[in-house]
Amino acid sequence: MILIIGGAASGKRTYLESLGYGPQDMADGVLDEKKVLYGLEKLVAADPERAEALLPALLKKEAVACSEVGSGVIPVRYEQRRAREATGRLCVQLAARAEKVVRLLAGIPTVIKG
Amino acid sequence: MLILLTGGSACGKSSYGEKLAVQGPKPLYYIAAMQPYDDECLKKIARHRELRRDKGFETIERYTSVDTLQLPQKGGTALLECLCNLTANEMYIQPEKPMDPVERVVAGVENLRQQTDTLIVITNDVGSDNEAYSEETRAYIRYLGEINAQVAAMADRVYELVAGIPLCLKGETV
Repeated sequence: MILIIGGAASGKRTYLESLGYGPQDMADGVLDEKKVLYGLEKLVAADPERAEALLPALLKKEAVACSEVGSGVIPVRYEQRRAREATGRLCVQLAARAEKVVRLLAGIPTVIKG
Repeated sequence: MLILLTGGSACGKSSYGEKLAVQGPKPLYYIAAMQPYDDECLKKIARHRELRRDKGFETIERYTSVDTLQLPQKGGTALLECLCNLTANEMYIQPEKPMDPVERVVAGVENLRQQTDTLIVITNDVGSDNEAYSEETRAYIRYLGEINAQVAAMADRVYELVAGIPLCLKGETV
């Protein structure tokens, strides 16, 4: 599994396309049979309490893309704080198990693992 | 040796900071700046305590004025967590306010550096969402941004943690 991480609109989708994945291969924030899960942060935000339980299914994907959501002021609302923490922790776990981790910044992919 | 660790929330800064700290000379101090004011803080503190358990840290709770903190013993390693809380505390709960938060937090880091062989400082990047915050919150972002820049300039090594992976921004890669 390749984990792709980067801020909103940092070039994650374009990078996935460069790997040969088209729109038909990418699920958007939902778990289904597609090879790639795009928008992991949306899936986590939908139910932060169950974030860790997503791990086995995510590890079976060819690629998972997640927006960086933890770089900003700590949100006032508890649900938002809960979601960003759960997203961060899940990404740490995914990165530890991923074959490759790619970080996108200004459209530039940097391989930070693998 | 001064090491600064930055990154978003829950990106693995604490775990990496602890990993570096336990490799440093003893004694090991953990300087906790988070003031517990509700259940969520208590849970967070409990989680961090659990992570540090059996690693040999002596915990020192210090919410403000790290510039006057005297460690029990000179030398060794200290892990300061974190500048985000410390800055907010200097703004909101510091009883004496003649000193500006930036100056006081930076002086705090310098004070600890003088007393330790290895000092590891954890901070956060809070300026990367650019939302339309209140004047007060914008002041906090400015203070912490300035503190981060000053501490990074003082530091021997700076790492950004991304999904638990340390990216070296300054100094040598471990």
